[in-house]
Amino acid sequence: MGQPLVTEVPRIPRRTRFALWLQREVGRLTSVFWIPAGAFAMKYVMGYRIKNAARLRKRFRRIVAESDEPILICANHLTMVDSMLVAWALGGSWWYFFNYRRLPWNLPEYRNFAALWFGRVAVWLTKCIPIKRGGKREEVSGVLKRVKYLLARGETALIFAEGGRSRTGRVNLDSIAHGMGRIASNVRDCKALVVYLRGDRQRSWSTVPAMGDSFYVDIALIRPQSDRKGIRRSREFAQQIAQRLARMEEKYFARRK
Amino acid sequence: MARDETFAKVMEIIGRYAKNKDALEGATDDTNILEDLKVNSARLVDVILDFEDEFDIEVADEDADAVNTVGDAVTLIEAKLG
Repeated sequence: MGQPLVTEVPRIPRRTRFALWLQREVGRLTSVFWIPAGAFAMKYVMGYRIKNAARLRKRFRRIVAESDEPILICANHLTMVDSMLVAWALGGSWWYFFNYRRLPWNLPEYRNFAALWFGRVAVWLTKCIPIKRGGKREEVSGVLKRVKYLLARGETALIFAEGGRSRTGRVNLDSIAHGMGRIASNVRDCKALVVYLRGDRQRSWSTVPAMGDSFYVDIALIRPQSDRKGIRRSREFAQQIAQRLARMEEKYFARRK
Repeated sequence: MARDETFAKVMEIIGRYAKNKDALEGATDDTNILEDLKVNSARLVDVILDFEDEFDIEVADEDADAVNTVGDAVTLIEAKLG
């Protein structure tokens, strides 16, 4: 493999930097309310359970303790609460108070919450940067630049490998989010934490998982490699991450047989 | 290479991914690739990669951000070809 062909982290306007700082700090100060509320809702209202949670969280904490390099979490996507489930599965709740930068930034679809002011406030507080999937290229690029900036500053971000929820219920290698590879390939020393999460009763995609569901979670830390340049480099990064995710899914179904 | 020739090759490539085949015939420089021709946004990368192969050019992610319409694609390719 050749030397990494990493571009510099993009310079974003001062106003955007300030907006991100403000969003992060207000979110951090209010997180004493919304992180426990989210965990309570998942655990006691919805009755969700993460299998082997203690072992999983210990492993995640070891990964982030071993290196200060940027981590992009790349997960499969079946329900609209996957980002909450992934964050809860990896870090629990109270741990994030002391490691707030490890609570991942998310890129929710703008149209899913924009209708209500409450939705807009909620996503702003909870480290979300809305994105219009399939929207104007410049707008999408602007969001990706902000994520790259945040990762370079030591924050953690989560992106779904397929962009939207998988309509087949399985990892779809024909629908890989190019932005995922673009972020990973453009941030120096960025690693991808590939996360496969699935409820036992999750047959296909849905709005939320079934109440009382138990979740299998598998993680793998990888550093994609490519000696290509430009868009091909980003594509290869995205493919390597998605292929790893597909193998993790095969493992999941093999274990269930 | 004449702009008309580039345009024709661009349309041939986009045509492989366009869901709205009817819109291909009347496409102009102003035709939006995603909205008018209904190319899936995830497939836009494949379109750009096909441009690279067809015209023997290299496109950066930032260059691809400027491609919204057929005319944008033609302009990008012509700029790369010098």
